[in-house]
Amino acid sequence: MISQIFILSTKGDHLIYKDYNIIMKPFRGEESKDSINGFYEMVTALSGDQPPVVMVNSGFLGELMSGLHFIHARQGGLYWVASTKTNPSPFTIIEFLNRLAALTKDYCGSLSEKSVRMNFALIYELLDEMVDFGYIQTTSTDILKNFIQTEAVSSKPFSLFDLSNVGLFGAETQQSKVAPSVAASRPIMSSRGEQGGKNEIFVDVIERLSVVIGSKGVLMKADIQGEIRIKCFLPTCSEMRIGLNEELSIGKSQLKGYSSAVRVDECRFHQAVKLDEFDTFRILKVCPSQGEQTVMQYQLCDELPCAPPFQLFPSVEKDYVNRSVNLSMVLIFLKLRCDLPPKSTALNVSITVPVPKGSTSMSQELSSPDQTAELQPKNKALLWEIPRFPGGAQLSALFKVDVPGLSSASLLEVGPVSMSFELPKQTCTGLQIRFLRLSPTQTGLSQRWVRYVTHSDSYTIRI
Amino acid sequence: MTFLYLGHNCATLGEIFELKAELNSDKKEKKKEAVKKVIASMTVGKDVSALFPDVVNCMQTDNLELKKLVYLYLMNYAKSQPDMAIMAVNTFVKDCEDPNPLIRALAVRTMGCIRVDKITEYLCEPLRKCLKDEDPYVRKTAAVCVAKLHDINAQLVEDQGFLDTLKDLISDSNPMVVANAVAALSEIAESHPNSNLLDLNPQTINKLLTALNECTEWGQIFILDCLANYMPRDDRESQSICERVTPRLSHANSAVVLSAVKVLMKFMEMLPKDLDYYGTLLKKLAPPLVTLLSAEAELQYVALRNINLIVQKRPEILKHEMKVFFVKYNDPIYVKLEKLDIMIRLASQANIAQVLAELKEYATEVDVDFVRKAVRAIGRCAIKVEQSAERCVSTLLDLIQTKVNYVVQEAIVVIKDIFRKYPNKYESVIATLCENLDSLDEPEARAAMIWIVGEYAERIDNADELLESFLEGFHDESTQVQLQLLTAIVKLFLKKPTETQELVQQVLSLATQDSDNPDLRDRGYIYWRLLSTDPVAAKEVVLAEKPLISEETDLIEPTLLEELICHIGTLASVYHKPPSAFVEGSRGVQHKRLPARAGSGESAESPDVGHSGPSEAPPAVIPSQGDLLGDLLNLDLAPPTVTVPSVQPSMQMGAMDLLGGGLDSLVCSSRALGGDIGGSPSMGAGLGAAPAAMPASLGSAPTVGGGLGDLFDLGGGVGMPTGSYVAPKTVWLLAMKAKGLEISGTFARRGGIIQMDLSLTNKAMSVMTDFAIQFNRNSFGLAPAGPMQVLTPLSPNQTIDVSLPLSMSGPVMKMEPLNNLQVAVKNNIDVFYFSCQYPLSLLFVEDGKMDRQVFLATWKDIPNDNEAQFQIKDIHLNSGNRNKYVLDRVLQNYSKKTNVFRDCMQKQMYDSTSVDSLVHDSLLLKGSYDAILKIIIWCNRIC
Repeated sequence: MISQIFILSTKGDHLIYKDYNIIMKPFRGEESKDSINGFYEMVTALSGDQPPVVMVNSGFLGELMSGLHFIHARQGGLYWVASTKTNPSPFTIIEFLNRLAALTKDYCGSLSEKSVRMNFALIYELLDEMVDFGYIQTTSTDILKNFIQTEAVSSKPFSLFDLSNVGLFGAETQQSKVAPSVAASRPIMSSRGEQGGKNEIFVDVIERLSVVIGSKGVLMKADIQGEIRIKCFLPTCSEMRIGLNEELSIGKSQLKGYSSAVRVDECRFHQAVKLDEFDTFRILKVCPSQGEQTVMQYQLCDELPCAPPFQLFPSVEKDYVNRSVNLSMVLIFLKLRCDLPPKSTALNVSITVPVPKGSTSMSQELSSPDQTAELQPKNKALLWEIPRFPGGAQLSALFKVDVPGLSSASLLEVGPVSMSFELPKQTCTGLQIRFLRLSPTQTGLSQRWVRYVTHSDSYTIRI
Repeated sequence: MTFLYLGHNCATLGEIFELKAELNSDKKEKKKEAVKKVIASMTVGKDVSALFPDVVNCMQTDNLELKKLVYLYLMNYAKSQPDMAIMAVNTFVKDCEDPNPLIRALAVRTMGCIRVDKITEYLCEPLRKCLKDEDPYVRKTAAVCVAKLHDINAQLVEDQGFLDTLKDLISDSNPMVVANAVAALSEIAESHPNSNLLDLNPQTINKLLTALNECTEWGQIFILDCLANYMPRDDRESQSICERVTPRLSHANSAVVLSAVKVLMKFMEMLPKDLDYYGTLLKKLAPPLVTLLSAEAELQYVALRNINLIVQKRPEILKHEMKVFFVKYNDPIYVKLEKLDIMIRLASQANIAQVLAELKEYATEVDVDFVRKAVRAIGRCAIKVEQSAERCVSTLLDLIQTKVNYVVQEAIVVIKDIFRKYPNKYESVIATLCENLDSLDEPEARAAMIWIVGEYAERIDNADELLESFLEGFHDESTQVQLQLLTAIVKLFLKKPTETQELVQQVLSLATQDSDNPDLRDRGYIYWRLLSTDPVAAKEVVLAEKPLISEETDLIEPTLLEELICHIGTLASVYHKPPSAFVEGSRGVQHKRLPARAGSGESAESPDVGHSGPSEAPPAVIPSQGDLLGDLLNLDLAPPTVTVPSVQPSMQMGAMDLLGGGLDSLVCSSRALGGDIGGSPSMGAGLGAAPAAMPASLGSAPTVGGGLGDLFDLGGGVGMPTGSYVAPKTVWLLAMKAKGLEISGTFARRGGIIQMDLSLTNKAMSVMTDFAIQFNRNSFGLAPAGPMQVLTPLSPNQTIDVSLPLSMSGPVMKMEPLNNLQVAVKNNIDVFYFSCQYPLSLLFVEDGKMDRQVFLATWKDIPNDNEAQFQIKDIHLNSGNRNKYVLDRVLQNYSKKTNVFRDCMQKQMYDSTSVDSLVHDSLLLKGSYDAILKIIIWCNRIC
């Protein structure tokens, strides 16, 4: 059972504070601050990586908040915090906090300190309907829209930032077929607002790829987590049919024919999805609620239908600048090949190579000026960044890392290499959306957008 | 929107004035904006309670948005302005009749959140109507409102019959109403552990399962959690519930999935293992658990903690899924460590090659903590899977070659364990280990290395040189290393007596004469005695074959694991602690248990196994184990002061007594042997001069044989009033709950000093050391006057008695009941918490009786109309000669201030037995200071 909900800015300011069962003394304004400041102190004192369940100890905060447990999630640069005195399910609470953040985004248009501040009355209203006495009631926009009275105050997004943001909802703005980047970040309810009237629906297929490639280039582990997400701005709820690849097969047991069937191991669906046509025609039927929702999640383990997008050919050597004073360095030569089809491009590719302890400086030879590389002694790593990497291309780089007093054993400290990148218009499973139909067919008003993207979740190449 | 950024904690007068004007404006929009501003200030923590009447004035409106805002404000400030809040009651009552269901529900919801006693009276009628409202939205809100009201005034809810109405709602046609009714009932039931509120029977279960398919995801969680508390009658019912819950495993909301897993894990326990369905169910559980790991890191962590439990209970579920627990380079460290733990638990002969390859990769990563754990994991694999031991050892050797300092040290620590598991098998690696001797700077690694050298002294040519090199800085080493070094050198001596006489003498004298550490000194003396009396026996003892170490480490104790399985998905499963350890008050105290398997015969016990505490047990007389404040959980226990000032030689000898059991005779015989030890031909090693220091210290300890009671009973018997009653020891901490440590104890007052007498029993398999104790704040500021003196390690199956003097100088906080004391005890394994109650007579000082005149005056002060009568039952008059009276009434007085009571307490000392039992019982009846005061006065009269 949830006792309190807070939304905190990165600086620890209280943006939203809601107390569901009055825990302590009458002047709750004050003690809420005590407890939440205690939480904030703990969260900031610990370095970045913190398990989500934090218990604040009464030791330094007094008996006011003895036994209060905080559970938090970070979204949109804000802390979404729930506190509890009982033994609830942290899963429930984290799910809920994430859902709350998503709803806030749906209702306010975007998720930022500013939008939360401007819409506090709306968020309080939402919270009142979503949680009663600590019991979560609903998080569905379909139900909520019956109750919510407050209009969202929409903040104008900062345009420069959005232009450079080559993300999900704004990949490659130049192309006419792609929706403008701001289109998806607006409140769902502001139909009477200035941006209103546009009946749009966005369907995104997002895949996260995690791969481990062994030292001899062998694929050791690969899996893909995928999801189909809908962001819906249609005011009336009409049924939508989403057609997936007809040859999509599900489960490990099914035999593969010679055709390059698209296969996933397992999938889960949103509870609103009707699956009566799924088994035969691979059609999902859903009445999308307003806002963002994940209609289908799927995963594929161990077998990739295509080659992994990057191959690395490394070589690591020890060299002496001056043998007599033991001034040594490590030569790292990396050859990186992109195995995507020639028309595709990988974006924001960055490669991290661990270097031996005590590395002091680095010089590099890169093949084009838009690439950058730097040594990060703090992380014991070097970082090589490539903004665009066309399919079929091969890039190479040579790094000379000065390491005084290098022993042969420290060469073992080089590796494994990790990469992160983004593959727009690509799905690694090959899952495609054949069609998107709204029934009853709406007159030209509604615009439908389908986008694909693959992110690297964890891409490791061992040396 | 600058108003949001106001920086002060108190709204200035100007602001208040301005807002006041706006609130009283005629324009609706302006009013609304003003209320918004007020709420904005409230959010940032400013006090805007001064605007209460003005805001309440805005309540009468047909604008729903404005109404909601006003209600928000009301909920926040009603408690501080109860009189003002009454002004709002009429509107609430009127709103509950509104034709718009939204307004009805809003009114009922808000009213429940206003925790003002006067308002609750007005709430009953509207609530009764709303519970039967035609609109499900209103009904579901009303259901929650019952829980709210119960929290404010439980009696009122019972009297008004709301609980029955709530039970009826379980059969409601709307699933959302059902879910909320279940949630409310579950919570109310938790505070009445023995009530039959949620008497689940097959019919209600059926209704719940039907509602499960229809309600929202959050409602499903309530229902599943409620189902988990049900005890099916037989395996068939269990199976049919499982079948209907299984579809939830593919739900998109991971909280629903985990709640379903909990239900299945629990009911599975009842299914016979040979049933086909059992196997199917096992297979169905794996994919959802794997899918949980695709979530965000936070959820992954929670999932992993739960999977850790599931893997310990039923490893077969995930035995084929090893790969999903492989660490990703960008996992946060807390996820990595959990994954590593699970990997080791799942390691088996089938997958060990894969696991080892992974672990080796991890051992070269950057993060030190993670690398250390990975190296340890390799060692654990070697111990767990015998076939892989050789590969593990060679992997560890490869890692040692990297010369990365912390890797080498961890590797040596685990190799020591491998030696203990597979003695005489991998000794070839010792040479490599010895090369790294110089780089070891951590005590654990040094101790491990010394152990290896001592254990295999006969195979290491320069063992004496190696050990001697450690000896140089003996006093700078940590205790762990010192003890190891002492043992290792003794081993060496027994193996190669001729060359190492000097060395062993050196270390024995360092340990016994130059050290302040009683552990070390005692061990030194024991070796010395052993060596000097009977070297053959010494050899048998010191070089005895050691028991092999067990395969699994860090396993959660089975009873705790069972309880935690019943709490899958909750905080308890994340902390790996029972809820009673961190949830305050009565909630969560019930210990849940898994049902017994159907095949096992006596399973038909009773359906109420899930409820703890037999109902006839005397309420709260024996402090319940679960009654612990989370408060205590993070107390920073200071490490025990191991060094005992040498002023108390008798204490040390007493402690030594414990260690050996029969050491007395040993000491005596050594005395008797006296000087001729030196010449003993069997010795062959010039130990003769060594024990010179011993008789002296023994001489100063004449009470060695006198038993511990005397030794520890500081000032026992001095100035004790006769007949001071000490209750027999009761068990305060069960071994089951404290990883094998059992504590029983009682309180006594001896010679004006309050003492806590404790018996610590080690029921675990390993030795316990480093005891320390700490109290939570309590009503009378009781605190340990000194550290708890447990001087020797507590070996398995041993009991030690400790008397801890207490002072009253600690921080004060009123406890419920008054004489409740919450205690944290730490040892080398963990920190444990329990609570106990002390007799109030403990606090009475010996000097001073109340003057007759004073007493009469005090007595007369109490007005007659405060007199009340009731029966006190079951008084235990267990000792003393003045207890012949029977109590039949206790007067209660509510007019006295509590400080009078304290004064009395300070002045009075009565026959503690009678007062104790009186006070005790009266506390149970009505835990107020005033009641106790009256009893004391009453006692004064009869004495």
